[in-house]
Amino acid sequence: MSKQYHKPGQWKAYLRIAWYAFRAQTRNPATFAFGFIFPIAFISIFGLIGNNPERVTIGIPKAQPKTIVEQTLLKLDFITIQSGSKTDLYNSLRTGKLGGIIEVTQTGENAYQATLLTSSANPVQTSEVKGVVQGVIDKANLGLSGITTPPINLTQKEVAGHPYRYIDFAVPGQIGFALLSTAIMGTVFGLIYLKKALILKRMFATPTKALTILLAQGTSRLIMGLIQTVLILGVAVLLFHFYLPHGWITFIDLMLVSSFGLISFLGFGYFIAGRVNDENAASPLTNIITLPQFLLSGVFFSTDSLPSWVQPLANNLPLSYFNHAVRMIATEGAPLTATFPYLFGLAIWGTVMYLLAARTFKWQ
Amino acid sequence: MANAKTPIIEVRNLVKKFGDFTAVDGVSFAVEEGEIFGILGPNGAGKTTTLEIIETLQKQTDGQILVDGVDTLVHPWEVKSRIGVQLQSSNFYPQLTLVELLNMFGAMYDVQVDPMAMLKKVQLEDKAKSFVDKLSGGQKQRFSIVSTLVNNPRVIFLDEPTTGLDPQARINLWEMIEAIKKSGTTLVLTTHYMDEAEKLCDRLAIMDHGRIVKIGTPKKLIDELLKTGFKKEVRPQPATLEDVFIHLTGRHLRDE
Repeated sequence: MSKQYHKPGQWKAYLRIAWYAFRAQTRNPATFAFGFIFPIAFISIFGLIGNNPERVTIGIPKAQPKTIVEQTLLKLDFITIQSGSKTDLYNSLRTGKLGGIIEVTQTGENAYQATLLTSSANPVQTSEVKGVVQGVIDKANLGLSGITTPPINLTQKEVAGHPYRYIDFAVPGQIGFALLSTAIMGTVFGLIYLKKALILKRMFATPTKALTILLAQGTSRLIMGLIQTVLILGVAVLLFHFYLPHGWITFIDLMLVSSFGLISFLGFGYFIAGRVNDENAASPLTNIITLPQFLLSGVFFSTDSLPSWVQPLANNLPLSYFNHAVRMIATEGAPLTATFPYLFGLAIWGTVMYLLAARTFKWQ
Repeated sequence: MANAKTPIIEVRNLVKKFGDFTAVDGVSFAVEEGEIFGILGPNGAGKTTTLEIIETLQKQTDGQILVDGVDTLVHPWEVKSRIGVQLQSSNFYPQLTLVELLNMFGAMYDVQVDPMAMLKKVQLEDKAKSFVDKLSGGQKQRFSIVSTLVNNPRVIFLDEPTTGLDPQARINLWEMIEAIKKSGTTLVLTTHYMDEAEKLCDRLAIMDHGRIVKIGTPKKLIDELLKTGFKKEVRPQPATLEDVFIHLTGRHLRDE
């Protein structure tokens, strides 16, 4: 038999499957919900939190005559004065709506007794109110004593800097959240569907190799994940003045770290999708892998606030490595090389998952 | 078995075991080039397993298969590029259009395709931009079969191609299958419908419990049965209920 046996080419198939798998994703509503709408909704909420500086509310009883203390307090723009009956103010204080109540009574000519009432219901405002009221009273005392030029004069100068707001913390976390969701949930439920509907089997009947098909699927998710990163960064920069320390260089570094993170996260997706064949079995396994990372990897709040015994675990999860690397680049302005230890950690997680997936993958 | 032509498929002593269960138990047959070869049998007889082993989707426990002279175990990739496969249910990406699916299969077989020309062959040109889920049962099967022709295969395998179709769609699909045969492609199909097997297939293999019970042309199988003295109570019936149905509702294809 003179027939030539040629190995079928894989590149064309790889590129075409990746492209069509990407098209299929863009037509799937779940892609937009998890990949775009959720992270952007979160960022918008965090962005709004960050834009309102903390205001302090102080209560002053209605019946009280106007004193210099009240007049000075009114001039401070971060203070809200709430007047009302004593009972109402006390109730507000007890439920944490007021930072404090200030009662001033005149005890003689040019002699006053000021009482500041605070509550443990609102410890944050309490400490601020104490400072503010102390300052105001000191100033009033100087004025009443006729001292116009105090011996120590304080002048405040501001050094230009970038204020660290909650959104600066939230954006890197949301990039991690979106990429982990796309890489793991997208891969798991996407591949299980392809298996169950015999779409994979039909593809295996062609001369395109199984590995080519899987890699093409992964590539389509990588592209989708990078588009998510661009979109999240775009919304954050344009709408919420998220700050990229070195501009385009920071942006490119972030895209590189995102690609690296996605490739590593995809390993988890392949591992789960290879072990189970239906969505019901996949759900708990997916949750076991993703939920602890969403909670412990510094997506919504810093891992520093976690109890010390959780920290070794929390700091070594793949999403923690990713979030650390992104925060170093985006908020600290660190160079890409400084994130290598974290990228190395991601590489180890990824390698382990790909090896496990390769050993346990069931095609049908 | 003195046939001048070389068979396009040769199956020799095929065995497939799943644990203790023997799904295919020493099956041997040959399919001649250009014929329509049917595999009949009740559910669980081993038809689909046999097909999937020939299609290189499963590996046999024992035995040898040559497709177009190529050993399926030695050169599975070569076999895959010479055959076309339709599985039991329609299995296509739900979010891709018919044109996109044909283009994707073209790339997977590393061949150039003209999706519109292919769709035209099966009267689906106006569905070019539709998704598979939006097609009727008959349209799905026509698309599924045309998708097996992307690589100009020597043989195509159809697993229960007409199950679940209305009579018009079945007749339409039979015509399509006969047209494919005329173009020189060999077909192997499974079916549960005896009328379909009798009308379409040049030769049949009847399988039960993982074994082939009988192989032959439909006429030969019937003659052999008659020779044993078998007599069916014959009532002269110049027309069947199907004839009534087709007479009343016409032969033309219904697609919503």
